This record gives sequence, structure tokens and C-alpha cells, in this order.
Amino acid sequence: MNQPRVFLVDDHELIRSGIRTELSGSVEIVGEADQVDAAIEMILERSPDVVLLDVHMPNGGGLAVLKAVTQTPCPVRFLALSVSDAAEDVIAIIRAGARGYVTKNILGPDLTDAIYRIAAGDVVFSPRLAGFVLDAFASTGESAPLMELVDVELDQLTPRERQVLRLIARGYTYKDIATELSISSKTVESHVSSVLRKLQLSNRHQLTNWASERHLS
Amino acid sequence: MPVTISSKPTLGVPLRPLRRSRTDCILGGVCAGIAIRLGLRERTIRIAFSVSAFVFGLGLLLYVASWIFMTRSGEDQSIGQRISHQHRDTRIVLLAVIVALGLLLAVHSFALQRVGSFAWAILFSFVAVLAVWRGASQDERVHLQALLNAAPVVGTASARGWKAIALRIIPGVILIVVGLRIMNKIGGIWGAAVPALIGAMVLIVGALIILAPWWLQTVRDLSSERRERVRIEERASMVAHIHDSVLQTLTLIERAAGSEVDVVRLARAQERELRQWLFDPNFDSDSSKAPESFAALLGTIERDVESDYGVKVELVVVGDCSADEGVRALAAAGREAAINAAKWSGASMVSIFGEVEPATISLFVRDTGSGFDLASVASDRQGIALSIRQRMSQYGGKTSIHSMIGAGTEIQLKMPRSVAHP
Repeated sequence: MNQPRVFLVDDHELIRSGIRTELSGSVEIVGEADQVDAAIEMILERSPDVVLLDVHMPNGGGLAVLKAVTQTPCPVRFLALSVSDAAEDVIAIIRAGARGYVTKNILGPDLTDAIYRIAAGDVVFSPRLAGFVLDAFASTGESAPLMELVDVELDQLTPRERQVLRLIARGYTYKDIATELSISSKTVESHVSSVLRKLQLSNRHQLTNWASERHLS
Repeated sequence: MPVTISSKPTLGVPLRPLRRSRTDCILGGVCAGIAIRLGLRERTIRIAFSVSAFVFGLGLLLYVASWIFMTRSGEDQSIGQRISHQHRDTRIVLLAVIVALGLLLAVHSFALQRVGSFAWAILFSFVAVLAVWRGASQDERVHLQALLNAAPVVGTASARGWKAIALRIIPGVILIVVGLRIMNKIGGIWGAAVPALIGAMVLIVGALIILAPWWLQTVRDLSSERRERVRIEERASMVAHIHDSVLQTLTLIERAAGSEVDVVRLARAQERELRQWLFDPNFDSDSSKAPESFAALLGTIERDVESDYGVKVELVVVGDCSADEGVRALAAAGREAAINAAKWSGASMVSIFGEVEPATISLFVRDTGSGFDLASVASDRQGIALSIRQRMSQYGGKTSIHSMIGAGTEIQLKMPRSVAHP
């Protein structure tokens, strides 16, 4: 497989240079941006395979970039990269269309691996994201603050999907999960993708929004 | 504990508790709340209140009293409770009550039996509405603001343009003229006081409508000034925090630059503390206090293992519950397991996953290190495994240990919840 073409969006020069160093040699970096507007323009111009997207930036942050780019037919995949642990932010960026979420303290090889998987159309769930999603879909939540984000009646996770998410949260890799559940890695992938899809379209309001946005554009 | 009630009354089924509705409210949601409590139609209650308002203003008084003393759905304090906790608000409301009483006594001494009871009711309602405004929660205030803006005449006060100005000035001038005409009738069949009082009131309302924009402007300026002050205070406390923790740690890191282990440990500890401070508003930095919840207990395990053994801990918690004996035992067993993994496995990371479910709490501690053969473990490690098992079985919990040489270890702990939670 060719090296994926990667675009970096982060407002911190230090972080960008750190990521650049870690990724050099294993992926092709086609550009960087430190502002929302510049990022949107350059992503549309260069159409990279994967955009590494910082969640927290001035003027709308990664969410603004995501929303602007996903409105166009440009086939770009997003991997959210953040130090933030606020569940709302993470869930929001996933719902807006990011294909995965990793924290910035991820180790170099793991980041490269995540980029390759995103480029291949897979979904990257870190243990923390799996935890957030389980929380968001928790049907018994006496104190689940994310309940409003997810319409539990419309889309409930299947027991198998829940099982897979739990294993991810426990620190299992997709390969470990496949062994543990005696299924193929591809099946694990498809479970995770289906969770992502439910998350992105799980609210009626969101659904109508989504539909009307499509209709307008 | 805030209680949220259903949004519609179930006919014939009275439902506890009594709360003001937040979804179905014209003013304060009192009628809908009572309807839900009694299992009647909202309209019935609304008509009852409206009719009784004409009986000496009784309905009006009852309504505002309920507004103040009934807690709003989803909130934990009623307006009355909130006001009595705020000394400033208490004083303002008391002052308003005294002014109202004084006014009433003055009117009463003119022997106005016929308007008397209505005057009482209306004046006290004004005071009560003032109290409602002072004691309303932020959320309810937004609702009230919307009500005010939707009200005719008053709503145009903040609007600009010729139409708005005309809408404001014409009724204002009409009211002032009418007020003056009424005051002119002093000495007729009504005596002196009634025209004087009513005329003055009409005059004042007219003047208020005309002057409303300027008045609102001052109120807004005051509140924006207050906001500014709060912002400055917040900034000051943030600067203090960053100085106390982050800058100190950076200095320590500079000094420990030679030792990679120390730098990593310091950076991690600081990262965790800052994160907690930023994203967990209820976080109490007083570490001497025993943590009160399952998630907090796991947080201390993460912190301690990372700082004592220099191993990264990936902690994921789903759900939370308060800590009882069983939960503490579970956390203690989990701590043993995590320390075990950090000490012996040789892995650079330990994953901890805790999940609180209605009937059970599960905790998984996993590493991808060397692993061991369960059948032939050294006696000292057997001892630790036993101490985990004993802790768990004492409260009815289950332990299972999976390990493979070269692939790592996972310890699975399950504890039933002592009280069944719905």
C-alpha cells in the first residue's frame, strides 16, 4: 500500500513538529494548517487521504473544519487528535464525522497504525472513546450526562457491539478481540463501524438536520 | 436531589411529587404542576385559578405563593429557599414587603373597602413577582426574559426603529393623559384617594413605558459590569492555580532534565492534575479526604500506580456509584492487581476498565507483559493473588485470572451491588 497522504491541523507549532517527526518516513505529509479557515481551504485544495485534526482550536476548532469539509464531495477521512478528555467534545467530533479519536500522548507507531487504518476505511476507537460511547449509550444511566446526545430508543447497541466496545475499553486490540470472541478481525471492524454509524445518526433531530443539510447542498 | 416530573398529567392518576412544570408553562408552570400532582387536566386548574382570582384576588395570591414555594421540576431548591439563602435577596424582598404594607395601610386609612382586597392582592403579587425574579434559577430566568420580550409594549422596549418607538411612545402618552384626566376628577363621587391613587399609577406606568429603554440599558450595563468582574476573578484564580502547580512542575522538570524517568513521571502527574482541574469541576484537590465514588477510587489507583511505578495507566470508567464497603474492597483488589501488573509484567502500560451496571460492578486490570503460568506461580505471587481473591469473596465478589506466558495477564473482578439499584 502506498503511503497515505496526511494533512495536519493543529494550532500548536510544537505539537505539529512533534507529530511531523514521529510520522516522517512512514506517511506522506502533504500540508499543515494552524487555523480553521486555512485548514478548510488547503484540505479542499490538496484532498489528502487522512486529516489529523486537533479538537480544540480558536474559531470553532476541529468541529468547524469537519463540518465545512464534509459538506463538500471531497473524500477526506478525519482522525481526531486531542488532549481533551471531555466526553461531550469527543462525542461531538465523532458525531460530526470523524472516523476515530486518539489522545495526543499516543506513541509514534500506534499513531502511524491508526492513520493507516483510517486511510483504509477502518474506524479507530481508543479505549477511552469506547468508554465514552458505552456511557453515551448506557440505557440504565441514573447519572449519564450524555443521554441527551443519544436517542436510546432509536438505536440501541447490540449485545455483540457492546461486548466489542467493552473489550476495547479493557485494552484489547482488534486482533485480541477477534481471538477472544472467535470471530475474524474483519467482523470486529464491522461491529465497530456499525457503532460509529449509530453514534453519528442516532438522534432524530440530528437525522433531520443531516437530511436537510444534504438537501440544501 | 433534583426531581424531574413527567410533562403531561395522567388523567385520574395523582403523581408525586409536587413540582412546577418546565415544559408546559404559561408563567411559572404552577398549574400544570398541580394538574400532574392531582391527575387532572391543566385547563381545569387554570380556569380554577383564573376564577378564584376574582374572589378578593385569592387565586392571584395562591398562584404567586405556589410559584415561590413549589420547586421547579429538575431543580433542587424552590425560589423561596434560594432567596432565604441569599442575604441580599432576602433584604430586597423584605424591603419590598414593608413598602407594600406601608402603601396598603395608607390606602386603607382612606377607608377604601371596595378596592381594598384587590389592592392587597395586586400589590403583594408585585412583590412576589419581584421575589420570583430575584430567586429564579438561570434557566428559569431565560424563560422569564422570553415572556417579557413577548409581552406587548414592554417587548418593544429594547427594539429600535420608528415602528418600535411609535409603539412605545403612543401608549405611553395615552396612559399619561388618561392618568392626568383621572387625577382631575378628585373630589367627585369617589372622594380624593381613589382617583389620586389610580391616576398616579396609570401615570407612572405610562412614564415607565416611555423610559423603559434607558432603564433597561442601565440594568444591562450593571450586569455586564458584574460579568466582567466575575471574569477577572476567574482569571485570577486560574493564574494562581497555574502558578502553584504547572510552573512549579516545569521548574522541577528543568532540574530533573537528566533523568528520563523523573521527567516522564512529573509530566504525567502534572498532566493528570491539570486535566482533572480543567474538566472535572467538582474535583476537590484535598487528597487527604477519602474518595466518595467508584470512579474517584479508580482515579487514585491510576495516580498512585503511575507515580510510584512509572508505568502508564489507561483508565476507562463507565458509569459511577457511591463507595460502600463492597466498592472499596473491589477498588482495593483492583489496586493490588494494578500494582502487580506494574511491578512484574514488564509492560509499559496497564489498562484498567471499570463499569458500573445496575446489579454488578466489574473491574478489569490488564497488561500485555510477560504473563505467567497460573499452575506454577511463585509463592509470593500466589499470596497476592490470594489477597485479591479474599478481598473479593468477603463481599460476595468473583475473581478470575487469565494469563498466558508472553501475551500478558488480565484480572477480572466482579462485585454485586449491595443495594439493588433500579
